Amino acid sequence: MYVPPAVTRQSEIQAAIDEVERSLASDVVRIRYEIGEDWSGQWAIFFRVVLTDDAAKQRLREVANKVVWGLSRRLDFPGMGVFPYHNYRSVSEQAALQEEAWADA
Amino acid sequence: MLADDLLEDARHLAAKGDAEKRMSCMRRAISTAYYAVFHLLVEDFVEHWEFEDQRARLGRMFDHTKMRDAAFTPKDKKNPTPVETALIDVKTAFGQLQGDRHRADYDLGWNIIQTDVTDAITLAEDTFVKWRSIRNEDVARHHLLSMFGAKR
Repeated sequence: MYVPPAVTRQSEIQAAIDEVERSLASDVVRIRYEIGEDWSGQWAIFFRVVLTDDAAKQRLREVANKVVWGLSRRLDFPGMGVFPYHNYRSVSEQAALQEEAWADA
Repeated sequence: MLADDLLEDARHLAAKGDAEKRMSCMRRAISTAYYAVFHLLVEDFVEHWEFEDQRARLGRMFDHTKMRDAAFTPKDKKNPTPVETALIDVKTAFGQLQGDRHRADYDLGWNIIQTDVTDAITLAEDTFVKWRSIRNEDVARHHLLSMFGAKR
């Protein structure tokens, strides 16, 4: 069974996430991720980004673009054999939904 | 253009979904945002085909997965030009919107929230602006041909 290189490079992925979280700390609360297959069966990495309420409401696109570029500058997704997906929610939305996949690890 | 109308429809659905907390509208807003970008690219490609009566058939040859998987690498990976940067954004956004569209239409376990809808709408809007700023550049025209399925 094919396993993408991303699976064996998780410390590199986490290090990149830590850097992006630090550089965008005023807007980004945390980033979690999961490697798996997407709807088409292609390997993917799913980033779940929790934002401050203010960032999610007032400047979502601006912050989202910074997250996407911050991660893609640090991680070679094609070389890792995965397509990156990024999804966002605010602290308040996560507090209402209480989904484990988005919670503080 | 159909693409512009679809983007406007996506905004209306998003507003209705937010005002009425209506999940079906929120899902359709995300789905429609993807189709707006899909048609933006397809319409741009087929409008250059000389034979107007064949354009609809040509447009139907586009395959969603092939469009997403079309490869693009900037000449200098560490230092892409502004045009290449915009094209990477368009390519990434297309894949993201396509994935979200599939989940919105089929994954009933996805608890869609307002941020998901706003993200899809603003990402589609951003993609329209970026694509239209680079659409006549060689690198963009070649990538559109790759999305159609042409090999390098």
